[in-house]
Amino acid sequence: MICAGIDAGSRTIKVMLIDADSLEIVGKGLADQGVEQDKLATSLFRRVLKSNGATGKDVAAIVATGYGRNAVNMADTTITEITCHAVGVHHLVPEAHTVIDIGGQDSKLVRLDGAGKVRDFAMNDRCAAGTGRFLEVTARRLGVGLDALGRLAAGSRRPAAISSMCVVFAETEITGLLACGTGREDIVAGVQAAIAARIVGMAGRSVEPPIVFTGGVAMVSGMTTALQTALGQAVTVAPEPQMTGALGAAILASKRLREATA
Amino acid sequence: MTHAPERITLEEWDVQYEKLHRAGMREPRYGGPLSRHVEDGDHRLGRLRYDNSAAALRLWNFLLTEEDRLHEARAAGNKIVGTMKDLGTVPVMAYCFDNVTAFYPDGAWWIPCVMEGSDGSLEVADSLGIDESFCPVRAMLGAFVTGAHFPIPDMLICSVGATCDDFSAIAQRLNGLGHPIFWWEIPHRRCPERDEAGVILPGGLTAPKSQVEFVESELERVKAALEELAGARLDDERLSAGIAQANRVRQYLAELRNLAFTAERCPLPALEMLIAEMLAIHFCSDRPETIAVLGELLEEVKVRANAGLGVLDAGAARIFWVNPVADLQVMNLLEDCGGRVCGTEYLFTHALDAIPQDVPPLEALARCALADPMAGSSIDRAERICADVRRFGAEAVLISRIPGASHCALEGQVISEVVAEQLDIPVLEIEVPPVTDSMSATLRTRLEALVETARCRRRTTQGIRRSG
Repeated sequence: MICAGIDAGSRTIKVMLIDADSLEIVGKGLADQGVEQDKLATSLFRRVLKSNGATGKDVAAIVATGYGRNAVNMADTTITEITCHAVGVHHLVPEAHTVIDIGGQDSKLVRLDGAGKVRDFAMNDRCAAGTGRFLEVTARRLGVGLDALGRLAAGSRRPAAISSMCVVFAETEITGLLACGTGREDIVAGVQAAIAARIVGMAGRSVEPPIVFTGGVAMVSGMTTALQTALGQAVTVAPEPQMTGALGAAILASKRLREATA
Repeated sequence: MTHAPERITLEEWDVQYEKLHRAGMREPRYGGPLSRHVEDGDHRLGRLRYDNSAAALRLWNFLLTEEDRLHEARAAGNKIVGTMKDLGTVPVMAYCFDNVTAFYPDGAWWIPCVMEGSDGSLEVADSLGIDESFCPVRAMLGAFVTGAHFPIPDMLICSVGATCDDFSAIAQRLNGLGHPIFWWEIPHRRCPERDEAGVILPGGLTAPKSQVEFVESELERVKAALEELAGARLDDERLSAGIAQANRVRQYLAELRNLAFTAERCPLPALEMLIAEMLAIHFCSDRPETIAVLGELLEEVKVRANAGLGVLDAGAARIFWVNPVADLQVMNLLEDCGGRVCGTEYLFTHALDAIPQDVPPLEALARCALADPMAGSSIDRAERICADVRRFGAEAVLISRIPGASHCALEGQVISEVVAEQLDIPVLEIEVPPVTDSMSATLRTRLEALVETARCRRRTTQGIRRSG
């Protein structure tokens, strides 16, 4: 049987199918998020099933996570992304003690115990300045794609100081920096450093390694370096960092199934 | 107890009200269905969930009719005293006079929430230069300017010094607007030096004797001002009697907290507990009625606890709550997410501790005032929180920041670190503005995650115990 995890995030929906017993991945997919969250999730779910030669009858349990989790009607239950990312990361990197997840509209830091259980967590809750949204705004303002940010940042000699705590005002700052002739590479490096600094602030004084980086922002080149510099520690990007929450949800679906049938 | 305990909506309360009436419920003169308060503009009530007992109805009606009581007191010729910032000391004195009615203008901070911003009090504060970079207690300024809520007091008394910076600024602005304030000073509490005599304060804290003497002298000035206003003397005998009555309130609350936070099933929702606890600091402008309201609530909770009945699932995660919330709905939200409140620290623990009755009464009040969590260090506060977390068996700590409140920016991390170090339980900080509707989804995620974490750790601990 198959167990499914659906991560209905703020920017994208992710579906992960795993074998209920072996926990091996049997299918996965990703689509942009939209207004009709349930419809989009259902559509993606069916597409992933079909592309893997499965039908709804093969699915024994579904767990939804992410901001839109309560809108996914087909799910048997919902579990927060904090727990799901922890489970997903522990499955992939069992020795991990810290998860940094930076998504489209929030960022979180999850501390794990030796068994991969959540010990504690913190989330940004003031604005989008520590999230992927900041990078999107920056890329748009600089007229480049997200994939170009890392390359630009790598060429920075003197990262710009971004002082604002708010994305809207930061955009104004970027405009000002451009007007002053600051190079795009220094602006990008400054923005990435500002995001990393907010993560460090959220983490408090202790970040226990190994540190695993997840979420869509983990795929933006340059961010891992910025985080490593800010934390003063090595940071590992999770395999397929966008899918970790969905993977954790699928594993938890499998666990629930086992408990229900035990 | 006439019905199985549960949390119900305002609409359901209308039905419940009829049922209770048919069952012979007797109400005080301020009684009536809860929904009538919505017609007065308290729109938020329509979104809350309430305890379904007659005792809870009385508590809510008592709270929501305070403005009426104040206007009646004014009409009856009583002197109205606004006791500001000080939490639970000056009201004890004020209620020793037959012709003085005290109230807590700071309580206006809930007006923007309860009226869902329709009162405009925050906008008035904005226009006076006290904008959202200050604590929502700035709504008090708007309430004074519009005069739409409480009667303008005959006297305003406010503590200053080691209190809240925001409140001091707001009160100074109020003073400048033509509302004279009688200021009294509270020093930053410190431990006695080696060569200094120390005094034990409520809650087990210590302070130098010289600080207690200083606060006592300040309270002596307050007493003299109140005597002049009331036209009567306040001798030690009368003050001691007032302290004894205040201690009855505190004793009821101590029992209520102990039962509500330790019973196997939660016998009273967090929202009603919050309101009950707030009565300790201001008596809702009627001390004898406060005692009666709390007495009835305590009886209800005793019956429920003894019968093993509760308003939430037995497996609810046990959460210790730090700081009061500007939006009352968030208390409901924690319970909707599977949590229950097991312990609180709403910045006035000193008003819940018994006032000493074995020392001269003014000294007793001085000791009480110096035990104010805000008068001491954040470490002191964190230590008290840890002690109460252990006492009530909480599994996680939730710190709700008050936006703009300067103390919140500083103390959250200190409390988190001390709790993590001493107890190794999860701590979550959230920020709660007066109306949280637009951010309820993000708040829900945080609260659900805290509940999941606490429950997961509980299972792990139980597993370890079993295997051990």
